[in-house]
Amino acid sequence: MNFLKQDNLLITEPALKQEPIVLQINGVEYRDYTTATKTLSQFLRETAGLTGVKTGCNEGECGACTVLVDNKPVNSCLILAFQAEGRQIITIEGLLGADGTLSPLQQAFLDYGAVQCGYCTPGMILAAEGLLREIPNPDDREIRRALAGNICRCSGFLNIIKAVKSVASQTDTPVVA
Amino acid sequence: MTGIARTASPETIGETSAIVAGFTGSIAYIAGGTDLIIALEQGFRPDMIVDISRMEALNFVEINFKHVRIGAATPVSALTKLNELHKGIAALSQAAEQFGSAQIRNRATLGGNIASAKPAGDLLPVLMCLDCHIEVLCRDGSTKKLALDEVVTDSGTTSLDNGDLITAINLPLQLGDNPISAFGKIGRRRELTIARLNLTVLADYQTETSLARDIRIVAGAIGPVPLRLKCVEQELRGRKVDQTFADDFLGALTGAVDAAIPGRYSQTYKRQAVMGLGLDVLQSLFGREFSLPACLRGMT
Repeated sequence: MNFLKQDNLLITEPALKQEPIVLQINGVEYRDYTTATKTLSQFLRETAGLTGVKTGCNEGECGACTVLVDNKPVNSCLILAFQAEGRQIITIEGLLGADGTLSPLQQAFLDYGAVQCGYCTPGMILAAEGLLREIPNPDDREIRRALAGNICRCSGFLNIIKAVKSVASQTDTPVVA
Repeated sequence: MTGIARTASPETIGETSAIVAGFTGSIAYIAGGTDLIIALEQGFRPDMIVDISRMEALNFVEINFKHVRIGAATPVSALTKLNELHKGIAALSQAAEQFGSAQIRNRATLGGNIASAKPAGDLLPVLMCLDCHIEVLCRDGSTKKLALDEVVTDSGTTSLDNGDLITAINLPLQLGDNPISAFGKIGRRRELTIARLNLTVLADYQTETSLARDIRIVAGAIGPVPLRLKCVEQELRGRKVDQTFADDFLGALTGAVDAAIPGRYSQTYKRQAVMGLGLDVLQSLFGREFSLPACLRGMT
């Protein structure tokens, strides 16, 4: 019997998956014998200990648990851990440089005062990171749309958008001949 | 308490058939998981979860002059640009564009939207309006093709048997010579919103004469399943598209809402709101401005 303490719920899961789940997270391999219904967000927090992944609503409304899977932002509460096998998963911890320096987005969030209580920040940064990996120089509308799935309960949205915009405009967009 | 005994991650249709054919327990297919995982959190416990998100055979868009075929596990984010390929399916792109959040669009799939059969599912009215056929692989390996209203029978209910897998959605695009379509929705906010009301219109439009030679109209979030508004269609079919056309269209929409939800608390709101929605969809469909009917002018 495996007991998972999640929020205030005590979940009991008697049936374990036979094979371990193996996930590539921030370039590191993690494996665990776990239940089939374990979500990626649970795996990231409980198995991998990556508590930069926050969970809020557990139903894809708040975006706090956003991570990158194969460079695309997704809600890690809405993927089962075993579905992410073989994919490249990046959490907020994975954005740090090898020498511990903050990524341009992380630094911009500090510089622009885009962090208040901080709970939405990892998801917010990863949603923005996913946008910038797809569209290096997005306009305001694209930034707002990309962050629409992330809710800041401190309502500090304007500084968040400014922070993302500052990184977007730093990116040199090559002129297509 | 029953736990989940098994998971499977097949990569081909053949592997999937082999896995499910020999399995006697209940099966839940998972692709994006944006609905299924919430059901699991609420205690839903199938005997086996089959992940179909790795199957390339379910993730594709095929398009030619009068036919679009889309793999059931194609993510919604891959549908947002389809209007550039064929204006007959612009409605599907517009619905995909307004679907959930970026995170949800990267995971949620067309097949999943059908299987969940939610009354406010934004893609369902579009699929009904575009007269889709849904390809299904049965557990015994046989296949069947069904219309949307044959699959989605009630709120959250489909006619599919356990183990049936939606594999592809066919959109014939055979409404006349020049099919054009548009989608609009009203929610409580602009992004990541559940539709209070949505509307899809498909027309065979003769540009030179401004004639709507044929028209199909489907409303969503106004009943347990998408509702085709045949009475509105009848009033407009074969007519010249002008302000009178728009007035009659919006008036008929209000009548359709009154008929669909008489006495519901939301009737008072939706019978008015549907006119604003109808105006947006008309403008998007025909690419020009129309006015609100006289009774509403000055209210905005």
